[in-house]
This record gives sequence, C-alpha cells and structure tokens, in this order.
Amino acid sequence: MSNFSVGFRNSGTVQILDLKGELDAHTASELEAAIQKCQADNQVQIIINGANLLYISSAGLGVFMAYIEEVRECGGDIKIAALQPKVYNVFDLLGFPMLFDIVDLEEDAVGKFVVA
Amino acid sequence: MGMLLLYAVIMTSGSIALWTLVRRYFKKRPTSAGRVIWSVLVSGFALISIAAITTNFGTISTPGIDLPLGFAPGSGVPLTTTAIFKMVIVSLAQVLFVFILLSRIQELVLVKRTSSSQHNWYAMLFVFVAASLLSVFRAAGDPQNFVQDIAIVVSIVFMVLNAFRLSWIVSLSFKEKLATIGLCMVLIVLLIGGPGIGNSGSSFLIPDAYSYLEHYFMPLAAFVKQATIFGILYGTTSFLSLLFHLPTTGDFRQREGERATMHSLTHLIGQVFEAERLFESVAAAPVESGSADYAWLALPDLDTGFLQYKVFATSGIVPAKVNDLFDSTQLASDLSRDNLPLIIQKAQADHRLNLKTADGIGSLLAVPLIAREEVLGALFAAKKVSSGFEQDDIETISIFAAQAAVAIDNAHLFEQQVERERLEREMSIAREVQQKLLPQNVPEISGLSMAASSVSAQEVGGDYYDFVRLGEQELGVIIGDVSGKGTSAAFYMAEMQGIFHSVSRIAKSPATFLTHANTALAQTLDKNVFISAIYAILNLETERIVLTRAGHCPAAIVRLNGEARYIRTRGLGLGLDRGSLFQQSLTQESISLDPGDVLVFYTDGVVESRDAEGEEYGYDRLLSILKEYRHEDADGLHSAVLRDLRGFIGSAEYDDDMTLVVVKWHGVPIDTLLTSTQSVKEST
Repeated sequence: MSNFSVGFRNSGTVQILDLKGELDAHTASELEAAIQKCQADNQVQIIINGANLLYISSAGLGVFMAYIEEVRECGGDIKIAALQPKVYNVFDLLGFPMLFDIVDLEEDAVGKFVVA
Repeated sequence: MGMLLLYAVIMTSGSIALWTLVRRYFKKRPTSAGRVIWSVLVSGFALISIAAITTNFGTISTPGIDLPLGFAPGSGVPLTTTAIFKMVIVSLAQVLFVFILLSRIQELVLVKRTSSSQHNWYAMLFVFVAASLLSVFRAAGDPQNFVQDIAIVVSIVFMVLNAFRLSWIVSLSFKEKLATIGLCMVLIVLLIGGPGIGNSGSSFLIPDAYSYLEHYFMPLAAFVKQATIFGILYGTTSFLSLLFHLPTTGDFRQREGERATMHSLTHLIGQVFEAERLFESVAAAPVESGSADYAWLALPDLDTGFLQYKVFATSGIVPAKVNDLFDSTQLASDLSRDNLPLIIQKAQADHRLNLKTADGIGSLLAVPLIAREEVLGALFAAKKVSSGFEQDDIETISIFAAQAAVAIDNAHLFEQQVERERLEREMSIAREVQQKLLPQNVPEISGLSMAASSVSAQEVGGDYYDFVRLGEQELGVIIGDVSGKGTSAAFYMAEMQGIFHSVSRIAKSPATFLTHANTALAQTLDKNVFISAIYAILNLETERIVLTRAGHCPAAIVRLNGEARYIRTRGLGLGLDRGSLFQQSLTQESISLDPGDVLVFYTDGVVESRDAEGEEYGYDRLLSILKEYRHEDADGLHSAVLRDLRGFIGSAEYDDDMTLVVVKWHGVPIDTLLTSTQSVKEST
C-alpha cells in the first residue's frame, strides 16, 4: 500500500537516508521514524538522498522543518542531495534552499560534513 | 339369553360412560409426574377403602343358604340383597380405580409423544377392551378358553410396549425422583392388594374382589385384571428406572441449566445498548448454569493500557480479590498468543496465581473472548475444588465465551458506529463554518472581473483566498495554503483569515503584511507546519499590481497579446523562519497592467492534480490553457481551467485541496458599459 520507503546507509560518520517513492501526508510518519532512529543512535550528520524520491507534499516538507532545529542543536545537520528537478522545484518554491544545504551530488554533501 | 345380552349392553354402555366421565374430569388436571401418581394413589386408596369396608361389612346370613359369597352356583346369580350390594360397590370401586389409573398413566406415557407411541397406547386400550369383550358370555369361575388366552397374550405385548414409555423421569429433580419412587411402591402395593391380579388371592385388601367382579360383569373383570397388571408393570418399570436415574440427576440438571443459560445469553447478543448489563450476564452465565462456583469477566482496561485486564463483572466472588489473583498482563498475552482456554486444575500449587488471594479457589479456567480473530478479553470461571473442570464444563464455558465475544463485539461496533456518525456531524458543521470563512461573493469593482473557487479533498481543508478593499483605489487579493490537510490545516487557515482581516488594512505593502503575518503565526504554528501565500495589491488608478510571494506557487500573468509567464519572486513560506530571515527573503514585483491582462492565483492542488497514469497536470499545461482562453472574462477563464482539469484527471475526486482565483483587468469601467447596454435594451 505504502509506496514510500527509507533506506539506511553510512558514509563514514554520516548517516544517509535514501528516500524512495512518494512522501506525502500518509508516508511522512515513516521519514519521521527514520530521523528519530538516527537521533536515538546519536547520528546527527544526516544526508537525505532524494535520487528516487518522485514526489513530495507540503506535509513531507514539514518533516524536515520538525527536526532540523534539534539536529542542529546537537551539532549535526540535515543536508539534502540528488533531488530530481520536479521535487527540487517544490523545495525551491518554498525557499528551502535558504534554510537547508541542498546539493546535486551526495558526495558534495558528505564533503561538507567532513570539512565542517 | 335375551336378558343376558341386554345386561351386557347396559353394563358395556355404563362402563363407557364412566370412562368418558373420568377422562373429562382429569383432562384439565396438572400433569407433573408426582401429582399424576399422587392423584391415582389418593383416589385408589379412597376407593379401595370403601370396597374393603364393604366386603367386611355384615355377613351373609340368609338362613338355608350356605354359599361363600351369596351367589347361586352354576348361574352365579346373587341370592341376597347383601350380596348384590357388596358386589356392586366392590366392583364399581375397582372399575373406577383402574379407569383413573389408566387415564392418569396415559398422561405419563404420552410425555414427549411420537405418533407411534400414541398409536401404541390407543392400541393397548383397544386390545384391553377387545380381550375383555371376548369374555362376555363366560360365567364366573369358568376357565378362559384358547381365544381368550391369545387375546391376553396380545394385550400383555402392548402392556410391555407402553410400560417403557418413561420420558417423564429424566426431567425430575433428585427429590422429586425420591418421592416418586415411594409413590410407585405404594401404587404397586395398592394394585396388588386391591383389585389384585386375578383369582390368585393376591387381593389381601379386598377379600374376594375378583369374584365379585366376575359375578358383576365378566368383561369388566377381564378389563380390570388387564389394567391392574399394566398398572403394576408400569409402576415397576417406573420404580426401577427412577432408581437407576437417581445418580445422574445432578448431571442432567446441569445440562438443563446450561441450556437455559445459553438461551438467555443468545438474547443478549442483541443487547448492545447497555454494556454493563451485558457484562454482568456474561459473568453470571457459568455460575447460573452450574458449570462453576465463581466467574468473572475481564476486559482490556483502556485507561491503563491495552494489555492490562480489568475485571468488569463478577458472579459469586469479591471483585477486589480477583484483580490481584493474576499478573494480568502476563495472562492477557498468554491468552492472546494461544487463543486457547487456560486450565489450572490445581490452583493452590500453580505459580501463576497469587496464593494469598487464591484462597477458596481450587481450580480455574480462563477462556479468551475471540471475535473476528481478535482477543477482546477473557471469561474466568473457578471452582472450589481442585481438578474441578471436566471436558464438558470447559466446552460449555467456551461456548459462553464465544457467545459473549460476539455480543461484546457487536456492542463495540455499535459504539463505533455512533461515534462515527457523531464525527461526521461534527465535520459537516466544521465544513459549513469553514465555507463561511471564504468570501461568499467576489467584490464587484468597475474595470475588473473576478472569479474564485475552492474545494477541499476532505470535509475541511487548508486553502484560503480572500479579497479586501483598501480605500477607493486599492484591492488586496490573498491566496494561502496551509501545509498538510484536514482538521489541523483548517484551524491554521482560520487563523490566517483572522490575521488577514486585521493586518491587511494597516499594512502598506504586501511584504509588510506578510512580515506581520509571519510574526503573528510564529507563536502558534507547529514546527512542521507552514503556510505558503501570495499577497497582491492592485491599484485601480495607477493600473499597477504589486505582489509578494511567500513560498507559494507562483501566480501566472497572461497578457492580451499572448505573452504568459509565472511571477516567481523569491520568498520563504510563512512559518519556515521565525526571525529576520523571512523578511529578508521577501521581494516584491510591481507590474503595470494593460486592459485584457489576467492574473491567476492557485494552490498546488491544481498543478499537482494527476491523471489515471499518475501524470501531473503541471505548470506548462496550466499556462497554455490560460493563453488559449485569455479572451474570456474571469468567469469564462475560471471555468475553462476547471473544465480542462476535470477532463485531465478523469474523475470528480480531488486528491488535494484546490483553489483557483482569476482576476482580469478590463481597464475600462465595464459596469458603465453594461449599464449603457442595459439602458439601450430598456429603451427599445
């Protein structure tokens, strides 16, 4: 039924979440759970890989807003990488690039964590 | 011979009349077994007493006649009045007794009758009569002939058939059985001692009873003899059967109890309005049926957590004690895992029970209540003795549990239905209220035509649009979209409406308004909620529109010459930043309008609508349809877009809240145009 899934991956100390499918009001809780799991594991350097993310609704965007503050307070960050153009457009319309590091390549996002 | 025949006819008719009277008299009498036999005994005892007194009353002392009973030898004609008197009284007493006997036994024989049992009974009566009538010309003291012997054999066969019709015995209680055994013994004695079984001299209560009958009317004597034999036979089979059934009486009574309890439980299934009464009846069932000494019903306690069982109703035990008996969480998970009854035959030695509170409980049974593959709770039954639960007790209580599960499930479903209907009513009220937050009509302003609509995917939604007149020359237009859907979005939408109506009049520019709105919303918006919006102020005098976008889908502008584009200024959504970044992010765009220019505001529900293949409607298609219909007025353009959208998604179901606002600048005050047209029409 749910056409959304989150895959967990590590690159050094960075936790990468691979989003797949459609992130909307129904599936937002799955991403919430994934980020909560990262927090519980003390993994606050998080990269969201959106290469396979086909759609995001406003409720989906709300998940990032809900956790970014806490993650940054713990010295980490949520960076977003490899979004498809259509999905990037949704982020961009709302001004998310002003609030989040949104980059084309996952390696760049990892690099930013390493430099920091 | 003629006299003899006449006598036979009179006696036969008299007997039939007497039988009919007896039948009629007992027709409406109670038919409980004890009472039936009791009535036979009372009447029999009275009649036999009368007969016994009569035979011993006076002596036959007619001088010159020395016959034992006063009948002429050979002819058998009574020779003295005393003999006649005695003969009539003794004979009638016996006849009446056996008539009562037969008519009452009939009630017992025909308990739970079948057509064959009924047939056997009446056949026996017929054979009695037939065999008796064969003796019509036999003189007193004569031996029976061959035919009469055969008739008696046939009659005995039917007696045996009917003597085993004893269904009435099983439903008697232990005490009733004991009493009935006594009654049967007395009845047998009364029958042997009274009419007796022929001329064997058994009638010790009435000496010469049979001889008197023989002299009175031979067929009657034969009938009384057969009836008496049957009475003794029936009394004997009843006596023995009662004796053998005595030990199993308890079991039978329990079955009866189970059946009655099951019956009342079945009615409970429809009892969905009063949950408490339902619970009490369920808990009472094992005790009432005699399957257990104590019983109680435990259901998940919704106050403390789902797996904790709480006792809701008890029967025969103090509730406080029961609650501490088990680690109920452990028990609940055990029952849910196995879905099988838990049987503890030695409660005192079982580690799962709290020994202190287990006092008085010898064995215990817990049956899960399962409806639609879900464990709703458990029915507990306990006995004072250990190893008290036999397989049939367990089965019975399991059946109660199954019934109870269905009843409780029904009650739950009913509650849910009521709750759902209540919610639906609430939501439809919310919908009405929300509709009132949107403008009921677009304002009428000369030089402008406007059209707007908003639909929600659910009862209520998070889309908002509104207009406000700012002085003579300015009109404010806002469109907003709260993130998420449904009730929470609807509340923020209402808040947005309040902010718009209070702040728009004092804000000089769209950016100022949005900054104020962001500050106001920052206090109430949840972290994960934001609102995208566009606010535009149109000046009718300068023919310019100034707009600022706060994260919202960009407005489209379509010029009369076909030039069409989205106005995509920079700007964060409301609530995404609660400090100064928001204000810094905003930019304003000011556009000079020419007559025929159209501005279109919409929410993401429009461009993100999908067709059956999952393809989005998209920005390009929206822009091209606007271009195609740009010559229409606002209404025409508005409905053209909706029509195209509906055609695209292929069904009337909208997946998201969807709002569309079209504002067309005509430049020339069209109301004056219209008025002149109308006046022209009126003048013609």
